[in-house]
Amino acid sequence: MDMKQKLEEMLAAAKAAVTEVADEAALQEIRVRYLGKKGQLTTIMKGMGALSSDERPTIGALANRVKEQLGQLFDQHLQRVKQQELSRRLEHESIDVTLPGRRGVSGSKHPVTLITEELIDIFSALGFCVAEGPEVEQDFYNFEALNIPRDHPARDMQDTFYINDDVVLRTHTSPVQIRTMLKHRPPLRIIAPGTVYRRDSDITHSPMFHQIEGFMVDENITFGDLKGILTTFIHECFGTKVAVRFRPSFFPFTEPSAEVDIQCVICGGKGCRVCKNSGWLEILGSGMIDPEVFKSVEYDSSKYSGFAFGMGLERIAMLKYGVNDLRLFFENDVRFLRQF
Amino acid sequence: MIVTYNWLKEYVDFDLTPQQLSHRLTMAGLEVDYMEELGGGLDSVIVARLESVEPHPGADRLTVCQVNTGGEVIQVVCGAKNHKSGDLVALAQVGSVLPGDFKIKKSKIRGEQSRGMLCSEVELGLAEESDGIMILPTGLSLGMPVFEALGLKDVRYEIGLTPNRADCLSVVGIAREVGAIVGSKVRMPQNPPVSEGGVAVDTQTSVTIEDRDGCPRYMARLIKGVKIAASPEWLVRRLESLGLRSINNVVDVTNFLLMELGHPLHAFDFNRLRGGRIVVKRAVDGSEFTTLDGQVRKLAAADVVICDAEGPVALAGIMGGENSEVQDDTVDILLESAYFDPVTIRRTSKRLGIHSEASHRFERGADVDMVPQALQRATALIQQLAGGEVAAGTIDVYPEPLPRRQITMRRDNCNALLGLDLSAVQMAQLLEGIDVQVDSVADDTLTAVIPMARHDLEREVDLIEEIARLNGYDNIAVTMPVSRVVRRIKDEAQLFARALRDGMVGQGFREIINYSFISPTAWDKIALAQDDPRRSNVKILNPLTEEQSVMRTTLVPSMLETVARNHAYRSFDLRLFELRPVFKVTQGVLPEESLHLCAAVSGRRESEGWAQDSSPVDFFDLKGALESVCEQLHLCELRCEADAGEGYLHPGKSCRIYLGKQLAGVMGELHPAVQENYDIDQPVYLLELDVEALRRGELGTKTFSPISRFPDCYRDSALLFDDKIHAQQVLEVIRKVKIKNLEDVTLFDLYSGKGIPVGKKSIAVRVRYRSLDKTLTDEEINAMHAKIIKALGKKLGGEIR
Repeated sequence: MDMKQKLEEMLAAAKAAVTEVADEAALQEIRVRYLGKKGQLTTIMKGMGALSSDERPTIGALANRVKEQLGQLFDQHLQRVKQQELSRRLEHESIDVTLPGRRGVSGSKHPVTLITEELIDIFSALGFCVAEGPEVEQDFYNFEALNIPRDHPARDMQDTFYINDDVVLRTHTSPVQIRTMLKHRPPLRIIAPGTVYRRDSDITHSPMFHQIEGFMVDENITFGDLKGILTTFIHECFGTKVAVRFRPSFFPFTEPSAEVDIQCVICGGKGCRVCKNSGWLEILGSGMIDPEVFKSVEYDSSKYSGFAFGMGLERIAMLKYGVNDLRLFFENDVRFLRQF
Repeated sequence: MIVTYNWLKEYVDFDLTPQQLSHRLTMAGLEVDYMEELGGGLDSVIVARLESVEPHPGADRLTVCQVNTGGEVIQVVCGAKNHKSGDLVALAQVGSVLPGDFKIKKSKIRGEQSRGMLCSEVELGLAEESDGIMILPTGLSLGMPVFEALGLKDVRYEIGLTPNRADCLSVVGIAREVGAIVGSKVRMPQNPPVSEGGVAVDTQTSVTIEDRDGCPRYMARLIKGVKIAASPEWLVRRLESLGLRSINNVVDVTNFLLMELGHPLHAFDFNRLRGGRIVVKRAVDGSEFTTLDGQVRKLAAADVVICDAEGPVALAGIMGGENSEVQDDTVDILLESAYFDPVTIRRTSKRLGIHSEASHRFERGADVDMVPQALQRATALIQQLAGGEVAAGTIDVYPEPLPRRQITMRRDNCNALLGLDLSAVQMAQLLEGIDVQVDSVADDTLTAVIPMARHDLEREVDLIEEIARLNGYDNIAVTMPVSRVVRRIKDEAQLFARALRDGMVGQGFREIINYSFISPTAWDKIALAQDDPRRSNVKILNPLTEEQSVMRTTLVPSMLETVARNHAYRSFDLRLFELRPVFKVTQGVLPEESLHLCAAVSGRRESEGWAQDSSPVDFFDLKGALESVCEQLHLCELRCEADAGEGYLHPGKSCRIYLGKQLAGVMGELHPAVQENYDIDQPVYLLELDVEALRRGELGTKTFSPISRFPDCYRDSALLFDDKIHAQQVLEVIRKVKIKNLEDVTLFDLYSGKGIPVGKKSIAVRVRYRSLDKTLTDEEINAMHAKIIKALGKKLGGEIR
């Protein structure tokens, strides 16, 4: 058999061998068998020496072509085999994607904190800054400077915890108004969230709760502005569709005073248990800062005017989140806390 | 304050439905808390006539009645005895539902058909007790609803009055407001004529005011020969509609006028006044007096008392005395109508803890101009109802008439504050609606004279408020303020607290909020040393309960209560924190309030699950969380020193936490004994830190350090150390070698036990090296690492394993 024939047969045999191959290892083996150092091609090529110089270039070219073809053949089948192997592997590999994920622990803020932060954000955008004051407070800041003298029936509006004759647990965040005004001059735009205390405990009253106080003082501030700022706040907090009403009320530290109601968020104003069938929910107290208050912080009330407002944060949280029992806020049951 | 729709209509004309009236009152500042229809839903109880009343053939106590409803005659079986043929009665027809959800059905009683029920006053909710069925007055038309026929259909309003509106503590007062709202005038009630006897009052009695400050005005009349009896129907009903019980004709008249005119009156049994005269003065300090509720009261020198010739007979403006009370056999009456100083009354009623209808009004300010009117009306009504002869003349001691306030209001001020544009004339009209007399309107300035009933109108701004209120808050346009932009007032501490809270939440902790006051027994429960300064507390003088009587000096007891409560609800895997102030007693007026952070972990590391790490938490879970938060807040590294020295922490598993040199707090496992005190049955790990101390550990502005582009290389070494050597010492020694190219050190294994000599432990460290400007060679790394091993050997006796 001449070399040409040998080479052609070898190529045919190799072609036949690889078509059956199913895995990469077997293919490697065949490759070595044909193309390896001791492979068939090398063996055949050893016969080159016996060829005449005429034949040598032709056979040499042929041998290179065969080598090239073998290489392509193996590469081609390597691709095929790899593809097949991958498909086989993927066919067997699968996970139950419906199994729950591996979870870390998750924390949460107290709902009162969430509401506080939301309100701070709303008012910050309106140019208000946050101020704070002590929870154990002097009678002067909590009452006297806010135009609530001793022996005045208005003191009954807020049942007070006393530390001694002159020191109380603050009954509202309004003393922060006084402290801030004594320290800074107008224009002022302040909100003061904080803890307050009243000597009252039942299903709708907690001896400790939270309020946010806000006030604004500058020249030419009007009752219309009070309505503007508070309406904006309510629309930000409860949505722009909620109706708002201002009705006359009384607070010793504001004049005129207004109670602000929103359309009941539970029944939409039709009347329900939560709004006592009135269709309205009382949400905050407000008013134009009383000249007596300005007097106690030595502001000139003929030059400056302003408004103040205050609201209970638990109440806002109850309305926003639909919490039906005030006591839940202080029981700290994780089944409650994890809902926020 | 309670008023009814019909009653208001007697004093003022208005064209509003009950619902509209409620809304208008609320929007005028008289908030209607509650509105109730009287006789509502009882329209099927009608006026009917008994055509015949026959004994029941099968029962002695029953009667069979033929009842004419105006449309038909039906048979009803009745168990009462007080009815007869021809009477008009209240028939509850079949289908009616009476108060108490009592449904009337068609029935057969002992064989006789009954198609309804003849009602008593009790059954209709008209009286507390009644004798037999209700016999209606003649002349009512058959078939008409009973409540309508009797004029009892009404609407009751409960108005939540603000403390400034004492003038509205009466029906007339509220009628005045209604008049102002709708623009009509109040009609004062007309009195029946008084017939005076021949003998002048001042020959029979006298009034002396010794305390003019406490009692500016005192008026009295004398009525002799009255007959104490039950009040007539109209008066009983009227009082009932306000929730008051009828007592007798004289007392009822004073109570009625209290509600109608808002002026408290008092009737003395004249014959029980020793010396037959009245002296108003301050009480003798420490003396005792029995008020008509039978209570013995200890008086103080500041109390105003009404005395007779010998001693007190009434606590002025608050409550009468037992010794001069009107009784069933009283024949002669001295009627008091007076005005007392609000502050004096308030102090006494507050001190003695008596809150009466009278004191409620006097301490908020009664109307001195109402004194004569109320007395005149009371005299007339008592004479009408109880007979008797009124002594000629009236005693009126009013030595120094109270000044009538005059206020000027500038139109510009009013409009500027409210954001309105009313004319002075419009303003004057609004004020006149509430009886404020506007004397002059000149140069846009109003001069107004204030009625004596309006104690709340003292200043210009008070009138401005009335303008806003009467003109309607709804009519003030919503505007946005025009104000200067100013730099914010920045509070670093507050921003830090917010970041700390965010950090804790990020570490998987839930925020809790507990009451700031706790029980004084908590200190023993958490085993605080007897001389621990935290045992000295800010105490509440009037706590609601002993459990809420002292202000917290540490957040730990509340945290443990919270953990225990959650465990009781079978929530065991807890990661909680509280960020709240504690209160420290100081020499100053106010305590020191400092923000503390308290955190606790218990239960499993992660929640239950197929792939979760459900091993129990330990000290290092808590420590790791804190370290992460500190890193996040860019604080200097925290350092722990063994044994917190806290009674509530395990001595061997607790530490003090330092930031730099600053002691910030403690952390550790809850002491088993304290754990038991709180009925907690698994380990709890706690920390409490002073937030201000944490904040002092802030590293300041973050600065960038360059990142190396060259490869790292690390060396692991396990060393044997004495058991007493702490990990922190190992790390500090490595750090102190000061190798420039040391990137970081990790303590990656800790081992003692088999293969390790007793009293020794193996600590394995991985030290990572990297240079900023080249690839380090093995030789360089080995040299650096050898230095470290050498230092560990020299300083801590560490030997390579």
